[in-house]
Amino acid sequence: MNNPLKASLERVKKPSRYIGGEFNSVVKPREEVDLRFAFCFPDLYEIGMSHLGSKIMYGLLNAMPGVWCERVFAPADDMERELRQGQMPLFALESGDPIGAFDILGFTLQYEMNYTGVLNMLDLAGVPLWSRERPDLSPLVIAGGPCVYNLEPVADFFDLIVVGEGEPVTPQLIDLYRRARGEGWPKARFLAEAAHIEGVYVPQLYQMEYGPDGAFAGAVPLHGAPNVVKKAVVKDFDRVYFPLDPIVPSTEVVFDRAMVELFRGCRRGCRFCQAGYTYRPIRAKSPETLAEQARAILRNTGWDEVSLTSLSSSDYPQLDVLCDSLVAELEPQHVNLALPSLRADNFNIELMQSVQKVRKSGLTFAPEAGSQRLRDIINKNIREEDLLEACRVAFSAGWSSVKLYFMMGLPGEADEDLLGISKMVRSVIEVFRLHAKNKARGVRISVGIAVFVPKAQTPFQWVGQTPREEVLRRQKLLMDSLKIKNVTYSLHNYEVSFVEAVLARGDRRLAPVIHRAWQLGARLDGWDEHFDPARWARAFEDCGIDPAFYANGEPEIDRPLPWDHIFSGVDKTFLQQEYRASLEGVATPDCKAGCRNCGALSLTGGHCDV
Amino acid sequence: MYKVRMSFSKDGPAAYISHLDLMRCFQRAFRRAGLPVAYSEGFNPHIRLSILAPLSAGHRCAGDVCDFELIEPAAEGEEMVARMNRALPPGLRAIRAVSTPADRPAGAPGEPLRKPGEIAFSAYEMGYPEGDAGAMAALFAAPVEVEKRSKRGRRQADLRDYIAAITFEPEAGCIRCRAVVRAGDDALNPRYITAALVSAGLVPEGFAPDYLRTALLDRSMDKFF
Repeated sequence: MNNPLKASLERVKKPSRYIGGEFNSVVKPREEVDLRFAFCFPDLYEIGMSHLGSKIMYGLLNAMPGVWCERVFAPADDMERELRQGQMPLFALESGDPIGAFDILGFTLQYEMNYTGVLNMLDLAGVPLWSRERPDLSPLVIAGGPCVYNLEPVADFFDLIVVGEGEPVTPQLIDLYRRARGEGWPKARFLAEAAHIEGVYVPQLYQMEYGPDGAFAGAVPLHGAPNVVKKAVVKDFDRVYFPLDPIVPSTEVVFDRAMVELFRGCRRGCRFCQAGYTYRPIRAKSPETLAEQARAILRNTGWDEVSLTSLSSSDYPQLDVLCDSLVAELEPQHVNLALPSLRADNFNIELMQSVQKVRKSGLTFAPEAGSQRLRDIINKNIREEDLLEACRVAFSAGWSSVKLYFMMGLPGEADEDLLGISKMVRSVIEVFRLHAKNKARGVRISVGIAVFVPKAQTPFQWVGQTPREEVLRRQKLLMDSLKIKNVTYSLHNYEVSFVEAVLARGDRRLAPVIHRAWQLGARLDGWDEHFDPARWARAFEDCGIDPAFYANGEPEIDRPLPWDHIFSGVDKTFLQQEYRASLEGVATPDCKAGCRNCGALSLTGGHCDV
Repeated sequence: MYKVRMSFSKDGPAAYISHLDLMRCFQRAFRRAGLPVAYSEGFNPHIRLSILAPLSAGHRCAGDVCDFELIEPAAEGEEMVARMNRALPPGLRAIRAVSTPADRPAGAPGEPLRKPGEIAFSAYEMGYPEGDAGAMAALFAAPVEVEKRSKRGRRQADLRDYIAAITFEPEAGCIRCRAVVRAGDDALNPRYITAALVSAGLVPEGFAPDYLRTALLDRSMDKFF
C-alpha cells in the first residue's frame, strides 16, 4: 500500500471500507488476466456489500477465465477529500490499482439519487464523464440495474446499458469486447454490433426529439439499431449461475448474511411498484436448488443467518416445504432463517414460528394506504382485516412489535385516507391489547411513510407527484395524527423525493442538470446529511429547466414517453388499462386468478411461474 | 466441553478491523473451519468467544490471545491452527492453540490455562521519523502530564506511571520505539506516547506510526501465553 494512502486511512472514519482483503474476495495474478473489469457501486461500502445483484455479477465475471472483476464503492466525504488533496485516483479494492486504467467500468444504478455519485466516481477515477468525450474502446463505461427502465437523464454519460438481467448478456458482451479489441475495431463499430445483443441499449444510437411545446416526441433509432430494446431475461432460472462463495465482509454492513433468491417477478401488480413489473415474467427456483445453494453458501462463508429473498416471499408456492427442510438442518447449527417481504394476507404463523426458532426477528407489513378505497386505486390488495388477523396471530404467539410501511401523496388521495393510517394503527394496538401473549412488554409499532414517486414502466407513469405545499400540509396532518403512545413514525424527506421524481420520469435534457448539481457538490444524495436541495434548485436554474415539468407533469396517455423504446416485459397497452382502472378505483386481481396478458410471456416463449 | 486458547496475529488488510468486528470474523472462521464451537444459553445464543485484551482498530498484533470453547475435541494444537488458517481472511493468522478439558483437575498433566487477569502489560513497537533518539528517551525520564481517558472517565496523570519500560533506537531510516505499557482496565493506548512526542516537538504533527503489539505480558514481564 502506498504511503499517502496509508496516511489517509489513519485520518478517515471506517478505513476498512477502502482496504479489501475480505474472505472470498478474488485476487487473480495479473499475468493470467486480459480483461480488467471495475464493478462500481455508486454508494458506500456498507450499502454495496449488502446488495445481492452485485454479488452475482462479481461471481459471474470472475468465473470467466482471463476476466478479473474488482469492486469500487463511492468514497465517503472524508476519503474523497483525502483522494483529491493527495491526487490519488479512485482505486479498486482487490488490487489497489486505479480504475481509470481498466478495460470496462460497470455501474449498477440502484436508484436515481445515485446519479451524481456515478459522476463523482468517474471524476475521481480520472475518466471523462460524457460518452462523447471517450473516443477509445477502453475504458468502456456501462450501466445496469433497476434504473435502466428509464435512465435517459444519464444516458449521455454511458457508452452502453444492460437492460434486464446481467446473467445472459454479460458473457456475450465480454466476448464481443475481446473480439473488438483483438481486431482493432473503432469504438463506434463495437457499439453498433453490441446493440444487436438482446438486452443491450446503446444510447447514442437513438436521437431524441421534442415537440414545440417542450413535450417528448419520440426516440429515433440510427444506424440499424432496434426500434425497441427488449430486456434480457434468464430463461432457466433454476439452473442459472449463482455464486456459492460470496465475499464475507470483515466489518459490519447493512445486510450481513447469506442470501438466496426464491424467484424473480411478482404476481400482485401493485400499480406503484416498478420492480413487480420489470422483473416479470415470474421465474422461480426449485426448493431443492435453493436448499443446496443455502447449504453451500453457509459452508463457504460461515454466516449465521440466511435470508430467502424475493419481491413477495410468502407467494413462493413451496415456501413451507423449503423452510421445513432448511430449519431442520439449520437449527442445530444455530443458523437463523430470515424471511423478509411477507404479505399480511398470507401470513402463516406456523411457518413464522418454525423459522424463528433460532432468533425472533421483527415483523414488517406494507399496507401502503390507510383506506380500502385508496388501496384499490393503487392495487395493493390487502384488506384491513387481513392485516389485523396477521397481527392477532403474531401477537398471540409472542411477538410484541411490528413495522408498518405506507406512502402518502398517492393518486386520488384525500385527507380521510391519511387519517385512516392512524385509525389502522389504533386498531393494531387494540388487537394487541386483546390478544397479546406478552402484554407486560407493551406493544411497539413503528410506522414509515414515504412520499410517492411515480415511476416509469408502471401504470402510474402518467401520474404527477403531489406538489410541495400539499405534501408538506399532508405530512403535518399525518404527524399530528400519529402522536400515539407506543408508536414511533418516520416520514421521508420530501426534498429528496422531489428530485427523485424529476429524475424518475426525466429525459436527456436533464443530463446537464445532473452534471451541474455534481459540480456544485452533490454526491451522496441518498443520504440526508449530504443531500442539499439548494444545489439542485441552483442546477435547475442554471440549466434553464423547470423541475416541476418532470416531477408533477401528467403526460397524456397516448403521447410518446422517453422510455417507450425500452421494453420492460409489460406492454404499454397493459399499463394504460391498469391506469384507467385506477381512475375508476377498480382493483385488478393478482395473476394467479388468471393471466392478464401483460406482455411478459413474449420474453420466455410463454413461460411464467405464477 | 473443551477450553481453547489461541494466539493470533493481525496484520495487512486485517489491521483496520475493530474489536467487535474481529469477534464476528473469528466466529465466522470457526464455522467455515467446521469447528464444533459452544454457544451460550438463552434467548440469543452466541458463540462463546473472548478476546482477552482489546486491540484498537488500526493497530496490528503479533501475538494477541483469544479463548473459546468446543463441545468436542475436534482438533488440537497444530491441526487446530492449520484448520483455522484455511478459514481466516488474509491478514489474520492463528499462531498457537492449546486445548484443555473444561473440567480439568488441578495438577493434571498438560498446560493449564492462566487467568486473563494475569495479563499486566502490552509490549508495543512503532517507528518514528529519524530524529533525536536521546531526546525522546529523555522525555520519558521526566514527568509527562496528560489528561488520560479510561472507562472510569478522565483524570490528570503522569504517563510514566503507565510505562514500565521504553526505549528509542535508531534503525535504518527511522527511530524504533519499544514500549511496555499497562494493560487491563486502565490500559495505556500507545497513541499517548506519540502525542507526547508531538507536543514536545520531537515528532512532526500529524505523524501516525504503525502500532504493533508484539506480546501480552504478565506481571513479571514474561509472555502471558
